[in-house]
Amino acid sequence: MRGTRRPHIALPLIAALVLAAFPTMFCGAARAAEEVTTQELVENMERYDGREVTITGEAVGDIMVRDDYAWITVNDDAYSIKSIEEGGDFAGLSNYGIGVWAPRRELEKIHVLGGYKNKGDWVRVTGTFNRACHEHGGDTDIHAESVVVLKAGYPISHPFQYWKLLVVIILAGIIVVLWVVRRKKIRRALRKA
Amino acid sequence: MILRPTREDVKLIGRGIGRVILGVGLIMAIPLVVSILSTEWSTVLDFLVGISACVAFWLVMEITCHVKRDLTWFHGLIVASGGWLAAMLFGAVPHFLSGHFKSYLDSCFDLMSGYTTTGLFLLQDLDHASHGLNMWRHLLTYAGGQGIIVIALTFLFAGTAGALKIYVSEGKEEKLLPNVVRTARAIWMISLTYLMVGSLFIWISLLREGMPVVRGLLHSVWLFMGAWSTGGFAPQSLNLLYYHSFWVELVTLIVFVIGSFNFALHYAVWTGNRREIYRNIEVKSFTTTILLGTVMLSIGFGKFGLFTNLGEFFRKGFYNLASGHTTTGNSTVYSVSFYREFGFIAMWAVILAMAIGASACSTGGGFKGLRMGIIFKYLRGEVRRLASPESAVVSEKVHHIQDIWLDDPLVKGTMFIVICYVVIYSLGAMLGILYGYSPSVAFFDAVSAGSNTGLSAGLTSPLMPTLLKVYYIFEMWAGRLEFISIIALFSFGGALLRGRGVRRKR
Repeated sequence: MRGTRRPHIALPLIAALVLAAFPTMFCGAARAAEEVTTQELVENMERYDGREVTITGEAVGDIMVRDDYAWITVNDDAYSIKSIEEGGDFAGLSNYGIGVWAPRRELEKIHVLGGYKNKGDWVRVTGTFNRACHEHGGDTDIHAESVVVLKAGYPISHPFQYWKLLVVIILAGIIVVLWVVRRKKIRRALRKA
Repeated sequence: MILRPTREDVKLIGRGIGRVILGVGLIMAIPLVVSILSTEWSTVLDFLVGISACVAFWLVMEITCHVKRDLTWFHGLIVASGGWLAAMLFGAVPHFLSGHFKSYLDSCFDLMSGYTTTGLFLLQDLDHASHGLNMWRHLLTYAGGQGIIVIALTFLFAGTAGALKIYVSEGKEEKLLPNVVRTARAIWMISLTYLMVGSLFIWISLLREGMPVVRGLLHSVWLFMGAWSTGGFAPQSLNLLYYHSFWVELVTLIVFVIGSFNFALHYAVWTGNRREIYRNIEVKSFTTTILLGTVMLSIGFGKFGLFTNLGEFFRKGFYNLASGHTTTGNSTVYSVSFYREFGFIAMWAVILAMAIGASACSTGGGFKGLRMGIIFKYLRGEVRRLASPESAVVSEKVHHIQDIWLDDPLVKGTMFIVICYVVIYSLGAMLGILYGYSPSVAFFDAVSAGSNTGLSAGLTSPLMPTLLKVYYIFEMWAGRLEFISIIALFSFGGALLRGRGVRRKR
């Protein structure tokens, strides 16, 4: 009896071990990828070329689908945390971002893209960094293996700026006065002529 | 001797500048409409403030500077150079109000860069900028490429004999038609036709590459404006690298090469004189220098060994070289890549191409192909003269729409302008080096600003020293107007300040 019962105990044990090892293996792969910023990548291209990296940032612009794959731009600068349109501070640069080439199904998870009206989804991209990608005409890019949406994007509110309206009204008043003065001057000149 | 300007002189200039500013206000109506359609209400207010300020200034000038005299050459020069400065100050209003600039100086930098079709920018967080602001950025390079004065001439100076004087003072010497106002309108007709055709091709390419329809349309118009005007602005911070598309790069390359050719050449071809393409000195000069640049680039890339196949050479090397040579500034690599990924030889190939620049009377900057042709032919003539018997008469000519025989005044004038360019490039580079930047980077950005190109090796940023920002504004302005108007403006300022001297005859 004992001999026949042993496999029954062993099977769930093996299964449990394999299941436990799976996420560890997966995390192990992710852990192998170095956590970097785009600025570090761009300024040290040779060092990171061909290596697995992880970047975390805001998905901006457009998803450009090319058959089963697609391009997305991920910015991880100060504005990806709080953009100027949200009242963020000046960081002294335009933007720091990189093109990510990923399977289309991975990018279908992204629903909000950053721009004037929206703060884009906050994503974590793991993939291979290419200093000069031979598949894409020498582009500097990341070929993503996984894209995880960490935080959903949201609309940026632009409160109506009444002080600007006041300036417009004052300037419009000045224009009306100046226009009347100009017309009077022209009429006077015509009468003299 | 420089004569002291009279009150009437000042009034004439003030009135001319007022009209130029009204032109700036009129073109702001286009981004205003885009902002309304995009429901960007904050941006709508920015443009309403800008337009109101321009109209108010024009009215003040019309009231206070009413005078019946017409412009002379001297006035034309001052209206052109002063008009560009005033246009920068007024055009910067929507930029500054957008909140994307740390200071008004930074806004003015971007305005001058736009008008002069340079393409360097200090705008922060471009990827979150509004459609209205992007339309304004690109429109002002498109308008600036044709010449702000050309805009004013087209709409506001009809029928005045002085129009020719300010037209020529803006760095344009070609008269396509007998009447300068009709010439200005012909320039617009050519540009608007290309705008429609070029934008359509870019739009098709963008749709093919997966861009959404409406954003694709907006991007296509902006990319066309940036490329045609040789401005090099793009709506995303990664510039052309954002699209990852061979087709978009190819179409924009064709657009900026065509845009960099002389308006007179365009007009000649449009009116049936197709042989001009093969005979024109500027086409020959451009072909020669870009071939030499390509050879230099190949050697540089070969030594560095990063871009290894023809496709990569075309998209990362030739594209950026041609962008530099046509003084466009569209780029398919990161700024720091010019310094770190190109290698010394390839980087200097781009610097030299930028310094030479595009055609005269085009939207481009730099020495210009015509001047390179004249200098080359002059040097060839000198060599032939030395090799010939004393009694031999050796003369050289260049073909630019018509045959032009080279004489001493022409060569001296040409050399003067080229030396002025070399001086502003060198001074800019020296300043950069003094601030601690690497010599190659300092030269790269200084030449880029002076030749109105817009490529950067990483020096130009909102954090750059204030003095460098001011100097680059000066470089862009002086390089675009080709010095003569600027010298006239400084002389005018000096004569006003001196407060004595001989009065100008009425």
